[in-house]
Amino acid sequence: MLIKSSGMTDVGLQREGNEDSFSVQDAFGLYMVADGMGGHLAGEVASRVAVEIITKSFGKWSEIQAPPDEIFGFPDESLSWQGNYILGSIRLANRVIYEMASEYEQYNGMGTTIVSLLVASGLVVAANVGDSRMYLVRDNRIERMSKDHTIVAEHVEMGVMTEEEAARSPLRHILTRNLGSSENVDAEVFEIEPSSEDLFILCSDGLTDLATDEEILKIALKESDPQKMSRRLIDLALERGAHDNTTVVTVFLDHVEKKRGTSFGGKLGGVVADALTGVNRIKRRLGL
Amino acid sequence: MAKLILTFNKQVIKEYPFAKDSVTMGRQEDNTIVIDNLAVSGYHAKIDKVGGEYILTDLQSTNGTFVNEEKVVSHKLSHGDNIGIGKHVILFVATEKEKLEGEGKDRKLPLDKTMLLDTAKQRELLAKQKIVPSVAKIPEKIGVVSFIDDSGLGEIELTKKLTKIGKAETSEIKLSGFLMGATAATISRRPSGYAISFAGGMTKLKVNGSVVRDSVPLKDFDTIELGSYKFQFYQKEVKSA
Repeated sequence: MLIKSSGMTDVGLQREGNEDSFSVQDAFGLYMVADGMGGHLAGEVASRVAVEIITKSFGKWSEIQAPPDEIFGFPDESLSWQGNYILGSIRLANRVIYEMASEYEQYNGMGTTIVSLLVASGLVVAANVGDSRMYLVRDNRIERMSKDHTIVAEHVEMGVMTEEEAARSPLRHILTRNLGSSENVDAEVFEIEPSSEDLFILCSDGLTDLATDEEILKIALKESDPQKMSRRLIDLALERGAHDNTTVVTVFLDHVEKKRGTSFGGKLGGVVADALTGVNRIKRRLGL
Repeated sequence: MAKLILTFNKQVIKEYPFAKDSVTMGRQEDNTIVIDNLAVSGYHAKIDKVGGEYILTDLQSTNGTFVNEEKVVSHKLSHGDNIGIGKHVILFVATEKEKLEGEGKDRKLPLDKTMLLDTAKQRELLAKQKIVPSVAKIPEKIGVVSFIDDSGLGEIELTKKLTKIGKAETSEIKLSGFLMGATAATISRRPSGYAISFAGGMTKLKVNGSVVRDSVPLKDFDTIELGSYKFQFYQKEVKSA
């Protein structure tokens, strides 16, 4: 599998500091965007702590292949072990930020969102808390791989509000979950099978507040270089006033192997495959 | 415009924009917010818009009116206040402008600032009223595949976020066959619903008769074929514990 990625952040046109953090780690296949909140640099601290803790704990657990029931919190039976490592790492980051916020006055009330992407062999794990999003662009279509934890998103899910109303609602920035404000938090985790030419876009609400899913798709389809794509998405937010920090991480997958081999061994599978293509070729030639 | 969000058991029931200068709440039909519950008085409480402020007044109700778990007779509402009436909670949401004024003019707050909904107080209040808080959610559904071939596999619930189908021992749904892939296909649960993807092997994946090389979203009663196996997908409601 081949991965090309890029991460970029911009303070925007109205904020003094940048409270967003991001992380791009091709070696681990781990990508993150976090959008901090809480004044006096606390938001910046929260988002950076989240990214660092998740990187460290995920790295550690993967390295020692920790049994899922020994990581932080109860394992989620519906997830793979990698999914559980991510879930546990997010829980741990939440606890650390929560403790910091309750222990130190200057960190009081700090919190952060998180959206993380893990690309492993045959598996993609998407996880999020808050309103930072992940999109998957596949077959010229865009699909959200994250679930917003906002009042309006819940209203949309319950069918009492449309997507358009939600995008304009004054309540759209009120989160129902974040990292740091309660002792325990659960992330939304999704797992899918990767495919060649998959594109993942992780971003903070600085972008999604000013651009629709379709507008993001339009730019994604025009650009194939991850660096340029991140730049163009941030430029779009800047053109529209960028009232908030804007962060974009783009991840391209290529040469994702779909195993042709069956369980009786790759080699023999290959031989059978060759034989069958041979048979098919002969059939075609004979017009069968 | 300010608004009021009526909730019960943390489920949002309805939103009311503050369109008039006065809003009444109670069990009688002619209230602005009608709450049909025996714990609520006929005319329970009202909110008046006075200048730029919203004043809540208890109309001598039998069971009282609460703001953030404190019993009140009259109260100046601030953004995010929880008004407790019987077992219902009404969330008061001010406009951005009113919120700024409420926060004090010396503190300049950026518009469009992300905030966390303070549900802790709401939870405490609900606990005091002996209501088990339930997270506002639509009924949870789970995907099921039902085999309609003669394999005798019956129905299998998709309890994993990513269900692997194939010959490998680690597959959640184990199928046999000479050309079946170790992992032939996967079904994933995504934010928008379930989708099936071709994963590998020599056995073709078909959904409603068409070959799938990458992935397609699954709808209820889609028919899926993998070699000689044939099954239908549908979703059923999970009974909450």
